[in-house]
Amino acid sequence: MADESFDLLGCLERVRQRDQLAARQLVEHLYPLVSRIVRSHLPRRVAEEDLAQDIFLKMFTRLEQYQGNVPFPHWVSRIAVTTCIDQLRAQKRRPEFRWADLSENEAEVLDNILTDERDVAPGQALAARELVQKLMAQLKPDDRMVIQLLDLEQKTIAEISGLTGWNQTLVKVRAFRARRKLQKLFQELQSKERS
Amino acid sequence: MNRFDRQWQKLIVAARQAPAETGATVPYGFATRLAAQAAALPATPWLPLERFAWRGLLVAAVCGISAIAFNYSVFTTEQTDIYATGTTDVVVDLLDIS
Repeated sequence: MADESFDLLGCLERVRQRDQLAARQLVEHLYPLVSRIVRSHLPRRVAEEDLAQDIFLKMFTRLEQYQGNVPFPHWVSRIAVTTCIDQLRAQKRRPEFRWADLSENEAEVLDNILTDERDVAPGQALAARELVQKLMAQLKPDDRMVIQLLDLEQKTIAEISGLTGWNQTLVKVRAFRARRKLQKLFQELQSKERS
Repeated sequence: MNRFDRQWQKLIVAARQAPAETGATVPYGFATRLAAQAAALPATPWLPLERFAWRGLLVAAVCGISAIAFNYSVFTTEQTDIYATGTTDVVVDLLDIS
């Protein structure tokens, strides 16, 4: 969060009293947090701004339900994550994953990974991230969310449980299922000739 | 760690090294538009309903308890007098158990 001196509780109180200026300040204060979550879990063909808007509207609608049991940014994060999951569920599944779907850099990264020859060069980090996103797009939305949070964002099982509302066993099961699906995907790609 | 785990870890570690995307500034007019939309939202429709529901439940409970208290004696006397007061119950007449 950018501004440490921001009076969040005071702002929330004013928002509850329908103060538009406070509502604007609250959006500006929380936008970096919401934007980061949206970018990490953005479904295809959904505009980042539209999804962020949905999340903020949900936040305003449910503001009276906020009891202060958890920090407010955490509460908003949960709304953001569940909204992203809903959007991911709504999108249709991708067709079969092929080498041809990858850019030249992504294909090179995948080649390096699958042949176990070299490490991924530091300059290929961006391509690696794009590749991971494309691979994860093959997973079910819930499984994808778990892998994103667990492997990419390095959150703990307990943190994921808190963010998604799923119990810890379910998170572990989804992570296991997702990795198995990814393993299958890797095996399929390995068996196919790179075109 | 099997082969896939090794490969996946290598890929994930590389992906994590990608620079964080910048540009998390609020788009122009976004906050103002949202603040206006928030102001136009109906004022928390569920909370007043919830209050009404709890009040309704309380009133119903008081009515129920009062009804039982007022009629308790009637229930008990009717149960004891059913055979003693010359009832015209058909079953009692048929079986001749009065």
